[in-house]
Amino acid sequence: MAITFDQIEAGLGIEGPKFAVSRESIRLFCDASLDYNPLHLDDDYMKGDFGKTNFGGIIMHGMNNFGLITRMLTDWALPAGAIHRRLETRWLKPVKPGDTIMPSGVVKATRVTEKSRWVTIEVVVNNQRGEQVATGEAMVEFPMTASAS
Amino acid sequence: MTQAVGSTRFETDFWKDAKSRKVWDDIVPGEPRETLPYTLTREAISLFCKAVGETNPLYIDEAAAKAGPYGGLVAPPSIHILLMFSCTPADDWMRSPGTVNAGQSWSYNIPARPGDVITLQARALDKFIRRERLFVVHDNVFFNQHGDVICSGRGQTIRPM
Repeated sequence: MAITFDQIEAGLGIEGPKFAVSRESIRLFCDASLDYNPLHLDDDYMKGDFGKTNFGGIIMHGMNNFGLITRMLTDWALPAGAIHRRLETRWLKPVKPGDTIMPSGVVKATRVTEKSRWVTIEVVVNNQRGEQVATGEAMVEFPMTASAS
Repeated sequence: MTQAVGSTRFETDFWKDAKSRKVWDDIVPGEPRETLPYTLTREAISLFCKAVGETNPLYIDEAAAKAGPYGGLVAPPSIHILLMFSCTPADDWMRSPGTVNAGQSWSYNIPARPGDVITLQARALDKFIRRERLFVVHDNVFFNQHGDVICSGRGQTIRPM
């Protein structure tokens, strides 16, 4: 059931899709995004140190998190006639082959402006250990013409 | 190794042109980056959707998309992840091996569509050193062939040393 703007309150939860990360999924993301940074391809290169960090092997593209959060937001917004307008993210932990990640969101606030209606959503991506790998904030617009109430 | 991107070949070995790329010291905040127009295809959208598990018919099912809010197929908003590489040349410093993405914020205006000839206006906006790491802030705006803004974004990367 698509949600209407008037039904949305702070605290409302949004669940995103689970995503199993593998060497193949990372390779596919390379081909789809054209981001062939050796961080995502070359285990030998990743045995080296990055400053004080050693990843021990290839890591998933941070932007794969971004793509999954986007998928969650558009799957939530589109059926309601709403539009995904903004996403800001930070990466907290590397994601590796074998991990399963899942985005989720919580509505922080709603706001009616002169010409439209907005929902601000706190987003997070967790791995299978419940650790946060990415956090961020999103805005979805519910135009006055959509699902008018 | 190269991969076909439209009518051109995309070099997938990011080491190959590494020497020709600007390092942190060379990057001048405010100076426009060289960019390339790119024609977005249905195939590129489909492959991107597959990589993130997108199944929305608006992106892949022409008949369903025609009856939808955009009157035709569109790309998911996050397609700028691909556009960032398809609209920049091989010597662009975003491809320097070891570049670490430290965060992004993007605003979306209208969707990109298959057949769009997409252009990018991009520059570094700022650079700084924090906790012994070299940061660059970048600013990017993608346009379609009508001059409409598709999306605009700001990102931070940590430069390889």
